Amino acid sequence: MVKRAWQNWLARRLPRDHQVQLNQRRIFILPSGYGVLYLVVALLLFLGGVNYENNLILALCFLMVSLFVMGILHTFRNLSALTLRAGAARNGFVGGHGGLAVVLVSRGQPHRSVWLSWPGQDAQEVSLETGEEKTVWLNLALPRRGPVRPQRLRVESRYPLGLLRAWSLVALEHHCLAWPRPREDAPSPWEGRGGSGGTGRHGSEAFQGLRAYVLGDSLRQVDWKGYARGRGMNTKLFDAEEGERLWLGYDRLEGLPEEQRLALLCHWVLLLSEAGQPFGLRLPAMELAPGSGDEHRLRALDLLALHGNEGGQR
Amino acid sequence: MARLYQVPSHARPWLTAAILAISLPQLLRGPFWQVLLLLAILLWRALMDRQRAPLPGRWIRVLLLLGTVGGIYLSFGRLIGPEAGTALITSLFALKYLELVGRRDAYVLIIIGYFVCATILLFQQGFFVFLYVCLCLLLLTASLVGIHYNDSQARSRQHLGKAAVLLLQAVPLAVVLFVLVPRLPPLWNVHTDQGQARTGMSDTMAPGQVSNLAESSAIAFRVQFDGEVPPYRQRYWRGLTYSWFDGRTWSQARPDDWGDELTFYSGRGAPPLWYRDLLRRAADRPYWDYQVIMAPSQRRWLYALNTPVPEFDGLVLARDRHLVATEPVTGNFRYRVRSYTGVPMTEPLAPDQRALMLSLPEQGFPRARELASQWRRQYRDDSALVSAALHWFRDEPFHYTLSPPAVGPDVVDGFLFNTRRGFCEHYASSFVVLMRAAGIPSRVVGGYQGGEANPMGRHLLIRQYDAHAWAEVWLPGRGWVEVDPTAAVAPERVELGLRGSLSQAGEVRLPGDGIGRLPVLFQLRQWADLLEFRWQSWVLGYDLKRQNQWLSRWLGAVTPWRLALLLLTLAALLVLATALIMFRGRGPRSATPLTREYRRLARGLSKRGVRGAERLSAAQLCERIARRWPAAEPAALSWRETFERLAYQQDTSPSIGALRALRRQRRRLLRACR
Repeated sequence: MVKRAWQNWLARRLPRDHQVQLNQRRIFILPSGYGVLYLVVALLLFLGGVNYENNLILALCFLMVSLFVMGILHTFRNLSALTLRAGAARNGFVGGHGGLAVVLVSRGQPHRSVWLSWPGQDAQEVSLETGEEKTVWLNLALPRRGPVRPQRLRVESRYPLGLLRAWSLVALEHHCLAWPRPREDAPSPWEGRGGSGGTGRHGSEAFQGLRAYVLGDSLRQVDWKGYARGRGMNTKLFDAEEGERLWLGYDRLEGLPEEQRLALLCHWVLLLSEAGQPFGLRLPAMELAPGSGDEHRLRALDLLALHGNEGGQR
Repeated sequence: MARLYQVPSHARPWLTAAILAISLPQLLRGPFWQVLLLLAILLWRALMDRQRAPLPGRWIRVLLLLGTVGGIYLSFGRLIGPEAGTALITSLFALKYLELVGRRDAYVLIIIGYFVCATILLFQQGFFVFLYVCLCLLLLTASLVGIHYNDSQARSRQHLGKAAVLLLQAVPLAVVLFVLVPRLPPLWNVHTDQGQARTGMSDTMAPGQVSNLAESSAIAFRVQFDGEVPPYRQRYWRGLTYSWFDGRTWSQARPDDWGDELTFYSGRGAPPLWYRDLLRRAADRPYWDYQVIMAPSQRRWLYALNTPVPEFDGLVLARDRHLVATEPVTGNFRYRVRSYTGVPMTEPLAPDQRALMLSLPEQGFPRARELASQWRRQYRDDSALVSAALHWFRDEPFHYTLSPPAVGPDVVDGFLFNTRRGFCEHYASSFVVLMRAAGIPSRVVGGYQGGEANPMGRHLLIRQYDAHAWAEVWLPGRGWVEVDPTAAVAPERVELGLRGSLSQAGEVRLPGDGIGRLPVLFQLRQWADLLEFRWQSWVLGYDLKRQNQWLSRWLGAVTPWRLALLLLTLAALLVLATALIMFRGRGPRSATPLTREYRRLARGLSKRGVRGAERLSAAQLCERIARRWPAAEPAALSWRETFERLAYQQDTSPSIGALRALRRQRRRLLRACR
């Protein structure tokens, strides 16, 4: 109940966004454990100063207290105006880990010893000098299929004195996709022509020509002979007719539970990509035109991850 | 081997320096083995940080701990009390450095360090000592910043800079707290003076006692005059009177039937007759107003010029016109006095008082008695006899010296007729004996004479070596009259002070002599002394009373609410101001110097009736100006030319000189627009 109210309050005060600049609305600040110890020492000095009627010990105590107060300003300043931006995502399989990048940007002042962490995780420390921009990758556990949104990111700093901790709970608009965990013990979901068991060769298709290699093209389709002759790295293009394409179909796995179907599809996507076999993917709500290469594989996996979630959180 | 926390290499110098600096005062004061212990700890730690030595095992640590505690006990005889406690905590603090295992330990070590810093101030409270403690604080804070900034890019200097900024920003708030936080009375009783030697004049005077004092250049008290400083020979700081002589030692005494209420006046209740009488006599005499700050003497005697009328606050006035504190002076004690000059002390002498002032031991000093009765036969008049005695001292071969030879069993005869070499107490004592033997009531007065004037602060510094003893004789019709037999023997003692008279005689070197007399150093020393004086009177002496006085001037009545309000307001203002300074000019700086220049011109034009100039381009602006004030066209064109050249200049921001030229052109243009 209280937790819920707290989350609601946070959501109102610190709404989710692609980019967040920390400011006084977003930064909380409280003494750390050492800060309390420090204040206790100051209190002891006060008592000592009063008892020994020693003005200088009192002065020292007051100096300590105001050092603490100035520490509040400095600790706050160390975080304030720090800009966090949602960066790229590294998706992963269910049960494994994905990664989310957080880009920290410093504008006009350094930010030192900033700790970034999600609840229940070890923090990563990062320091930024003026005008610097740094990317921090944070691991994210992927418990279920689909888009996984991290909890609020805790951005904390105790610099310079360590007596105070300033923190903010930042909700960045980013997520990881959890792909289904691949399974193989079931009928194959493919249809149409293409190799048997995914080991088919491209030779069966009509060779169309060459084009310059683009990152993401399957290495199996690179014209290695030409490369060896010094003609540069080129990708062979094949023209296959529509009916001859290999399609992985959700519908072909009838009778199996949804997640299991996806797991099988995932397995085949990986297998076919491994083999360099072009394939298409048909899901009830989406379709991926046949293709091959790393890019294609990732898109297929993402579609599998998003199944049943289309339009949901996107 | 346990993996131990390594203080980041960029923070290590500050931590080591902080530990050294904090321990230093204790090392100078305490037993020598503490120095060795600290050096061993620092060395071991340095080896540990370079992986050359293991973390000390538990047994070694326990042994070190027990050894330290045992050593303290052996050296001090106890473990509690300020001296032993401070020594213990300082060494334990250093030991903790050795067993630093985690970052948490480092934090705790540093925070404890702040406490150890404060113990330095238990023993010394000078201005420079406080500065030193602030330096320790700076080092500690730099270490704190350092261990927290866990980045290999960090540089040691950064930490010190950050710490310095923090500390400097903390100072104003600390000052406000110091001034406004109410000074509470002690919550429980503590004794800091255990085992501390008493200094200054004592309540008895035996030969050799004052000359012992003369070897110390410690400060007895400081005096700040409201107006001018009296000339040297008038600076007789009267402390106490000795009326009883047992043949060797003089001590204080009063007639049997004089109770406290007859002898002392505390300012409360009806003033006694003698006090009213004193005020009446003093009414139209010139006076000196001054305040005295006594250094801790652990005694109750206070010093003032004759005749003192004090502000009664923690002190009482005695009937023989000396001041007594109600408590022994354990800290710096401040009191204000108005001293009237030339007030005759013509009180009548009651019979038992007269008997006391004539009393002499039954036995001893036959030759002195004989000399006295010879004078008595010669001079009927008491004052003639006194001056004859002074002449005798002057004419006979008496010597003024700090190191008199041993006198023998009869201190008076031995001195007067054999050695004839002595210090002021010898002269005062034997003079009074002679007077009493001649039937003239008299007493010895103990105090200080002279004092070093600080021309910068209109204050006097009286050191222990200014201790002096002189005499007072009671003459019919004139009352008590001050007589200084030392002045008869060594007039320069009274004119130049002890140092002057002894250096003339080529005698002993006194502490602080020699190099301290070089003109430049002398000047420096006077500045330092002025500083210490101000420090004493403004900072160390800022107590509950002064706080109330000071605050009531500002607040009217000092109520807790008003005080709290003022405190909070000022603190909030200061924090706000600091925040403003810190956060000013943050983020993308909205205006370049050129833009600001442009805005200034636009503002100037809007005053002259051109609205919305800020939104125009430079060319449009010039057009407008030319249309409205044709005479200003050339100025406008040349301004525009400069502005555009600077604005479209690539890559570099305009130089200061160029901006200045632009500013001149803007002014010329605005002047032309009329």
